[in-house]
Amino acid sequence: MSGADAIVIGAGINGLTAATVLVRAGRSVCVLEAAAQVGGMANPRIAHFLYNLSPLVRADLGLGRRDWPFATHPLPSVALDPGGRHVVLRGDEARLAGGGTPPEANAWRDMHARLTRYGAVLRQLAEAAPPGLEGGLTSAAGLKQMLRLGWFGIAMKRLGRRDMREFMRVLLSNAYDMILDEMPDGPLAGLLAADAVRGGAVGPRQPGTVLSLIYRMGHGGAVSLPAGGMATVTGAFERAARDAGCRIETGAQVTQIVIEGDAVRGVETADGRRFDAPLVLGSGGAAATCALAGPAHFDIEAQRRLRNIRARGTAAKLNLTLDALPEISGLPADLMGARMVLAPRADYVERAMNAAKYGEISDAPVIEMVIPSLTDATLARNGGHVLSAIVQCAPHDLSGGWNDAARDRLRDRALAALAEVAPGLPDLVTEAEVITPADIEAETGAPGGHWHHGELSLDQILTLRPASGMGRYAIGPNGLFLCGAGAHPGGDVMGLAGRNAARAALGAEGGR
Amino acid sequence: MSVMNDPALGLIPGPLHDRLEPLSRAKAWYGWAGYIAPAVLDTVEFEYFALRNQAALFDISPMHTYRVTGPGALAALNRMVTRDAAKIAPGRVAYCAWCDEDGMVIDDGTLFRLAEDDWRLCCQEPMLTWLLDATWGFDATVTDESDTLAGIALQGPTSFAVLEAAGFDLSDMRPFDHREVEPGLRISRTGFTGDLGYELWMDWNDAVAVWDRLWDADPRGGMRAIGSHALDIARIEAGFLAAGIDFQPVHATERLHRGQTPFELGLGWMVDWTKGHFNGRRALWQVRDRPRSRLLRVDVGGFKPARDALVYHAKRRAAGHITSAVWSPTAKRNIALAHVKAGALDRRKPDLWAEIYTAQEGRWDRRMARLTPLAGPFYKPPRARQTPPART
Repeated sequence: MSGADAIVIGAGINGLTAATVLVRAGRSVCVLEAAAQVGGMANPRIAHFLYNLSPLVRADLGLGRRDWPFATHPLPSVALDPGGRHVVLRGDEARLAGGGTPPEANAWRDMHARLTRYGAVLRQLAEAAPPGLEGGLTSAAGLKQMLRLGWFGIAMKRLGRRDMREFMRVLLSNAYDMILDEMPDGPLAGLLAADAVRGGAVGPRQPGTVLSLIYRMGHGGAVSLPAGGMATVTGAFERAARDAGCRIETGAQVTQIVIEGDAVRGVETADGRRFDAPLVLGSGGAAATCALAGPAHFDIEAQRRLRNIRARGTAAKLNLTLDALPEISGLPADLMGARMVLAPRADYVERAMNAAKYGEISDAPVIEMVIPSLTDATLARNGGHVLSAIVQCAPHDLSGGWNDAARDRLRDRALAALAEVAPGLPDLVTEAEVITPADIEAETGAPGGHWHHGELSLDQILTLRPASGMGRYAIGPNGLFLCGAGAHPGGDVMGLAGRNAARAALGAEGGR
Repeated sequence: MSVMNDPALGLIPGPLHDRLEPLSRAKAWYGWAGYIAPAVLDTVEFEYFALRNQAALFDISPMHTYRVTGPGALAALNRMVTRDAAKIAPGRVAYCAWCDEDGMVIDDGTLFRLAEDDWRLCCQEPMLTWLLDATWGFDATVTDESDTLAGIALQGPTSFAVLEAAGFDLSDMRPFDHREVEPGLRISRTGFTGDLGYELWMDWNDAVAVWDRLWDADPRGGMRAIGSHALDIARIEAGFLAAGIDFQPVHATERLHRGQTPFELGLGWMVDWTKGHFNGRRALWQVRDRPRSRLLRVDVGGFKPARDALVYHAKRRAAGHITSAVWSPTAKRNIALAHVKAGALDRRKPDLWAEIYTAQEGRWDRRMARLTPLAGPFYKPPRARQTPPART
């Protein structure tokens, strides 16, 4: 038996962040991770990019005042076109890979500026706990809430009258219409539509997808590759936690959260150990965390909402080892290291998502990929290259279930789709690893293998995340908190959910 | 076929309709949970006095009944109701209430423990989906018995004698006991009248036979079948609450803040803080000392029942309303249940009045009647709890 001031279940980015925030506030913290390694879904086999890692998290973790303690390579994005007219995006600039300006360039510049401005407004909401006025205006906390909402209002006003009206108009709308209002359907529109639904279980015509697109633009929308791969990122978070004095145990599966007298008393692990702590933060799925405590400790309505959280992962990961660098017709060699998106039209994305509705793998999947070994030679394997791809749609609840045949089918369809732009690619593959949403769930505990532990949709964000009545991290008995991607503001290797949850837990000390 | 049992009207006959229909002179039927039920069979007065002075039979089959079984049934039910269900031994039944997550009462009812892992809940509101939610995650199974389990309430001072004459020896049965007296027939010493009384539970198809057995056994010859109006007088005298009248089952409300906590309904004694978590506990803990209003038993000045009256503080400020009111023939007083805002109850002697409208030969008038809060039921005869019961 051993004790700590707080126990964090799961050593993913959010779990490590929560632990470090707590330990830096003077608490003794023990992190228990079921897997053999830390990192959770930021595992290099599963994730490949950074685009929303929060500077606030960096500051709170003491990971560096100005920049992260690891180098990041900003990558341009390439919207692949089977016809060879690939569009290259660098910030707000769109150019054709072969030289020249695509017709959508102006529309993109305007849209990029707008979405980035909107993203900055919404980021304010993402960076703190969701607003709530339970304390009323008489309490310091309530007043702070009101102030923050006030700042949000001011930020909205600062957009200017026209922009604010436009913001309100598109916010709840669907990405497909918004994009095609501004530009003709083509590779760039396809790339934006794909970005709007990546990781989710909806098509770009679904209302609310503009919001998820803006969400991705919260830090400008730039995509970067960490030097050394995602392992560098998870390593940095782990080191920050350990340096601060946090105890991290891997291979320690929590089987029970012990509750006595409506308060958390600690946890028990699969190997029969008991850890005492008055505070437990769960970074796994909300429903799974509550199940560890047992249904008797939660209200009936809360439980109903928990089991109705929509968390249906549709993104599979495909890791290819290649003999040699493939050739993509029309794409210069210096762009082969870019983030490449195969979604030739917005329409294509919608159709790819259709399959998921019926539990099928898309015939023509949307693929986001990168050959990281081009940017970072340390990532090359056996003298060849590696290609990391996210393939949609491959629904968690595949009809017939996920087995080797289904995995092969997914690999073959992805390779067939890639052969449209890189005809020689399939022949270069020496090794292919398919990680399905079901695998992701099994490995990391993410419900449905979903990136965000729950669809980032209008009915599951802010105070409604992960579900109504549990939007401010505390749930059920005293001392139990949700600190994973299922909590506000979601996943994306961002760390904010963990940071906010830890701050909420510190604020709640001394009784609710 | 009378108008009321025309299936095209949407009401269907209950298991005892063939017995009730020939007894009905008033033809005053109403719909109770989809079944044709008698409001009055003969006259309210005859029925009420039979109930209070001899015995009365009332068909309670339309009540909603649910069976909850399995090793996790106790834990699931204990998370649902505010009382400690673990204290209900097999063979016992308890009056219970259950709340939503905000601590607002969803419904009340009687919870029977039939065996270690076998429970039955009887209540007024449909509760199947709620029970399915409440048992989710527990090793328990819910079965809706509402349309397969019939119930007959036999109430009144001679009810024990009637049962005895019908061949049931229940002399050792205490209030809130129940047992299976014959295969398929369970009798509980429960009721909605505050008097000596029993409820008989059997299969839907056996109800007529049990009814006939009681009907033919009556040793005094004064037993009557009654309708809901007579029963309603008795339950007000006993101070019992009726769902939808004295409290708003929160699932049936659409407007905000129409729900009420057990504390506001005078059911605070049923809230057990020591048993562990139950639904709404955290919300209730916050408001345990701050009822917004209270349900009071009041004596009303004058003779006119204060039905539907508004309640005023110091005759001027609106402070609530009457939920149930009746002239109690047995207590010989004008009684009512009233919802009164907490603000009007702060004083040691609350100055409460009901605004009662009177009509005399075509002239309407308004009268303020003083309300005097009372502790305890209006009518509670010692015979109700006496074991063995008197034959009277």
